Amino acid sequence: MPIVLGTLLAIISIAVIAYPFLGSQRYRLVSESFVTREKLRAERLRIYRKISDIEADYELGDLTEADYQQQRDQLRISAAEILKQESDSITIDSRRDEDLEKEISRLREQTTHSPRGRDNL
Amino acid sequence: MAELGFMALLLGFALSAYSAVGAIVGERKGKAELVVSARRALYMTTLTVTVASVALIYAFVQNDLSIAYVANHSNTLMDRAFVWVAFYAGNEGSLLYILLTLSIISALAIWFAPKRLARSMPWTIAILAINQLFYFGVLTFVASPFELLDTVPVDGRGINPLLTHPGMFSHPPLLMGGLIAITIPFAFVSGALIAGSYGDDWIDVARVSAILGWGVLGAGMLLGAWWAYTILGWGGYWAWDPIENVALMPWLVMTAFIHSIMVQKRRGMFRMWNVALLNTGFVLAQLGMFINRGGPVVSVHSFAASALGVIFLTFMLASLVFAFALFLWRMPQLKSDRAMESFMSREASFLVNNFLFLAVMAVTLWGVLFPLFSDLARDVSVSVSAPYFDRVNGPVLLGIVVMMGIGPLLPWRKASARSLKQWFIWPTVIGVITITVLVALGVQRPVAIFAFGVVAFVATSILEEWWRGTAARYHAGDNWAIAWWRLVNGNRPRHGGYIVHISILMLGLGIIGTNFYQQRTDGALALGESLVIDNYRIEYVANGDSSRPDRIAKWAEMTVYSIDPDDYSQEIQLSNAQGSSGFTLRDSQTRPNDELIDRIETWHGFYLDFNMASVRSGIRSTPVEDLYVIPRDFLSDGRISLAVSINPLAWWLWASGPFFIIGTMVAVWPQVAVERKPARKERLGSSEGES
Repeated sequence: MPIVLGTLLAIISIAVIAYPFLGSQRYRLVSESFVTREKLRAERLRIYRKISDIEADYELGDLTEADYQQQRDQLRISAAEILKQESDSITIDSRRDEDLEKEISRLREQTTHSPRGRDNL
Repeated sequence: MAELGFMALLLGFALSAYSAVGAIVGERKGKAELVVSARRALYMTTLTVTVASVALIYAFVQNDLSIAYVANHSNTLMDRAFVWVAFYAGNEGSLLYILLTLSIISALAIWFAPKRLARSMPWTIAILAINQLFYFGVLTFVASPFELLDTVPVDGRGINPLLTHPGMFSHPPLLMGGLIAITIPFAFVSGALIAGSYGDDWIDVARVSAILGWGVLGAGMLLGAWWAYTILGWGGYWAWDPIENVALMPWLVMTAFIHSIMVQKRRGMFRMWNVALLNTGFVLAQLGMFINRGGPVVSVHSFAASALGVIFLTFMLASLVFAFALFLWRMPQLKSDRAMESFMSREASFLVNNFLFLAVMAVTLWGVLFPLFSDLARDVSVSVSAPYFDRVNGPVLLGIVVMMGIGPLLPWRKASARSLKQWFIWPTVIGVITITVLVALGVQRPVAIFAFGVVAFVATSILEEWWRGTAARYHAGDNWAIAWWRLVNGNRPRHGGYIVHISILMLGLGIIGTNFYQQRTDGALALGESLVIDNYRIEYVANGDSSRPDRIAKWAEMTVYSIDPDDYSQEIQLSNAQGSSGFTLRDSQTRPNDELIDRIETWHGFYLDFNMASVRSGIRSTPVEDLYVIPRDFLSDGRISLAVSINPLAWWLWASGPFFIIGTMVAVWPQVAVERKPARKERLGSSEGES
């Protein structure tokens, strides 16, 4: 019985790790633009958090009015810049997507087979 | 079951090797399928090590004495409840437990890793897989818990009697889990550095995983202290034992890290310093494994007979070289965004606190390693004991507590003279008042009095901050409770940290009380006789036998009376003249003001196979002091030999535990309220469908 269970465990393990090569799903490494957007998003959230923190510091009296205004304005400017970068990134990606869609449509006309899905890392 | 366990470990070894190689090759060659497969292999190692662990536990439950590990760590008399303890009671089982923990937390960390770290994930997977590969290799080829005996014994040796204690259900798992958990932030940060991610992408995941591991390790050490206090029979809770020290050192470094990472998060500073701290913490955790397994130092905790020392030493040195080579390689890219503006700032106070933590770590490391160096260099065996650590570390630890009060009062960037006066006035006044009152009350020991003043200073600084924040919200319309809750909820890392600081102050009270004001006495009592110490009379009233085939054991019951010292003035005078803290009364006649306040039971057992005694101390615990009765032995003439102590403020040591855990949880709890709204907006932008 233990040998059977051990063999079963080995078969399951091999099946799980072999599936990405044998299954119908196709995988690709995440794009640079996706990672960039995720990083921008995280940075923006960190700035929101910092704004919240300095507001708390100001309420507690840890910051003077002048310091609070200066830091808050700086952070708001940074957040706005990041929002702009995010927006630009999406616009560029949308354009690239349109080009890709056109290319895919062209290829579809040439072939009947196409990948059914995708996964990301 | 042995075959299944061995097969599962062998399979796990192959899977983790595949995962490490697959992740690296997949990343370098741009083969996405290979990286996905490597990640899945890492998940599967969790299944294989779980199967191996279940197989071993099942073998214990079934008393499968054909397995050497089961035969060495259990017997048919063992209470079945201790099967879980027996699982990690020995070297091989504890390594399996460590691997089980590592595989589970690795899988969780990879599963929940933020997508912005996608580029570095293959490297993180590879580092985690290599760590697992090491443990799988040791368990499969060097120290297998599934090794079979040629001859099956009639019964097993039994579990180590010192481990049959409730604390053992949680102390070793938490301690080992906390040490191995440092691997997670290390893997994320190292992975990010290899992938060329030098920014702050890894801050949140490193901070949260580091705090969780740190909290688990801290809770494990506290539970270990409680175990020592109640079972080791020496009346203490921390002995600067080498194995205690090797758990303390990474905890100290990680404490420094979780403070300075906040400076990086808030001010974009200390990147280089934080990576160096994390590397140091990881390498010290490996040092702990080496010292525990290698047996270069003798300890009540260590697996000293183990021959694994060279293997663990090699892995530790490899970890050291890898971590700091990577650090040196990426160091130029890890510069701070800005320089420190003033030494009177919160970031500067965090840096000072970091140095103090590292100083305690260095002193402790020297104390641990010096006997080894002495042995190697001069062939002279020496031991470094508690007085060295107390004398050198004591003042530095007090300095850390002082900084715990100063740091939060200082603002980021720089403090003005006005703000310094404003925020320091009350804590300083309360600290000075505390010292003055204690002196006026005739309390002895200047160092301890100063330490109490420091505790009052820090406590006031925390309470003052809570008061200011709560009052501001109260005046904005909240009731007091909601105002305080919103204050804490608004910045959980900060206020969770304050709750942890309160737990450290409670711990500090216990340490000061027990170290400076403990009273001890010894005596041998026949039934009906009493021992008097301080304001207590302890009368020996009953005993009984609780022997079992594997042990000779007896219990003793005592009644505890509160006394008026005037009723015993003659005996006390005599005792003081002899320089003793207590005395024995042959008659137990109740004096006029004696008042029965408690009954306590003690237990003493001698385990024949282990040639080892084990005790359960009788403890009457109150927030003011513990009455602590250790049954040294039951003498052949029918008397019981006792060591009795008064441990002032010891109750606060254990009361600090829940505060420590709650504070840690508050500090790492996600800040949903702030992030949810932007996250929803963000989803609109993720049209690529890559999430």
